[in-house]
Amino acid sequence: MRAGFASQIAALLGLFVLWEVCVRVFDVAPHNMPAASAVLRDMAANTDLIGRGIVRTLSETLIGFAIGAAIGFVFGSAFAVSRALERLLFPLFIVSQAIPVIAFGALVVMWLGNDIWSKVAIAAYLTAFPVTVNTCRGMQAVDPQRVALLRSFGAGAWVLYWRLRVPYALPSIAAALKLGISLGLIGAIVGEWFGDTVGLGIMLLQAMYNENLPRVWSVILVCGAIGILLYSAFEAIERRWIWWKQEI
Amino acid sequence: MGGPAASAAPPMLQLTNLSKTFESSHGTVVALERVGIEIGRGEFVTVVGPSGCGKSTLFNILAGLAEPDAGAQILYNGEPRKAPELLGKVAFMPQRDLLLPWRRVVDNAILPLQVEGVPRAEALKRAEPLFSEFGLAGFERHYPQQLSGGMRQRVALMRTFLFERDLTLLDEPFGALDALTRSLMQRWLLEVWQRHQRTILFITHDVEEAIFLGDRVLVMTARPGRIKLVLDVPLARPRPASMLTSPEFIDLKRQVLAAIEEESIKSFQQVAET
Repeated sequence: MRAGFASQIAALLGLFVLWEVCVRVFDVAPHNMPAASAVLRDMAANTDLIGRGIVRTLSETLIGFAIGAAIGFVFGSAFAVSRALERLLFPLFIVSQAIPVIAFGALVVMWLGNDIWSKVAIAAYLTAFPVTVNTCRGMQAVDPQRVALLRSFGAGAWVLYWRLRVPYALPSIAAALKLGISLGLIGAIVGEWFGDTVGLGIMLLQAMYNENLPRVWSVILVCGAIGILLYSAFEAIERRWIWWKQEI
Repeated sequence: MGGPAASAAPPMLQLTNLSKTFESSHGTVVALERVGIEIGRGEFVTVVGPSGCGKSTLFNILAGLAEPDAGAQILYNGEPRKAPELLGKVAFMPQRDLLLPWRRVVDNAILPLQVEGVPRAEALKRAEPLFSEFGLAGFERHYPQQLSGGMRQRVALMRTFLFERDLTLLDEPFGALDALTRSLMQRWLLEVWQRHQRTILFITHDVEEAIFLGDRVLVMTARPGRIKLVLDVPLARPRPASMLTSPEFIDLKRQVLAAIEEESIKSFQQVAET
């Protein structure tokens, strides 16, 4: 575990060194690819700006993720419990996902205004779908013999739901949450492109217009780091708390 | 229909005219046909029969999970009951242990109590003295996947016993265990039964097991499932393992096997004719 982590850090550092060396040796033009040191210098010089961007984008991601996961859980549960509801609404969910989220972006900004909530909405929208699908599928896969056993104990629908369906579906929900948090981050970044003043997405856009290549790379690295950290956090939660597998 | 001697209290369970037919795309299957059973209070009755004889259907009905065809009568504790009214009234242990992998041994054992609404602390207090009796002392905090098959089965049995009901249904609880563990578990079950004074209906494939455990053995036929033979087992209790080779035991075994044999040949011929 520890050793694996150390070697991963070493590999990352090695990559930075390789990057630096390649740029210097092959004398790559800075407007094509800045040196690693230039990117790190840019980061060091703009910690304040980047810090504010991180706080903003991370808030959008986490709030959007939480709302999306809650929506997904509620709808997924409802679809699992009611076949009729699933037949009625599930196709709508699929269709909604077939439309690229960018197409909705303008609409969301017009409805919710150009502040944090429009980004939250887009992050939530992206998170909700996988969570809905996996909650529903996980709960539908519940072992009918275990349902029968709990019913023979006198369990009603509510007890069955909380004591059996929810824990039974948790491994599959956890998988969706890992996907959802990554999608939520994308949603937040893309959401900022529709206009804002703070956030990593908007920093990326500004850097692109100013052809500030070190800044573009700074933001890319920061976004990557956030993505990895969020994913690892959920992976750790899953390993610690949701380690059982669905038995067939 | 043989039964226990008439007494003031009504029998624990009285089934009359219990039939169950399933409609499927391949036609109608009669799983149970006019089954009649009477079980006295504190009795240990075993049901033996070929696979597909409707034993599990019978248990599902008694556990309240399936409804019999119209015309059946179920008297539970002397009162007429519809099958769904038996949900939560009968302690039912299916073939598979069906432990919940996210619950520790203790929490699996107290599950039925929690379903009833007993607070966890109270349920734990009730479960505590049973762990050593069920050979699970020291394993309370383990998860099911850390246990052997025999231990998992004991957890499932403990769960069933903690769900204190007048009638306990055990569906081949030792079917998946090796012969040695199995015979240990049988003797242990008899001890537990005698101490707790429960009424048990026990399904098995195994003729020896049926005779060794039961006060009475019911032999069922395959498709349609009927009661073919009701055999009293007059062997004294407690029953030592050596009883399995006594002449009385062998004689009972011969009678049960003869009844099953006749049935097997019949169902074989049915298959051949069609």
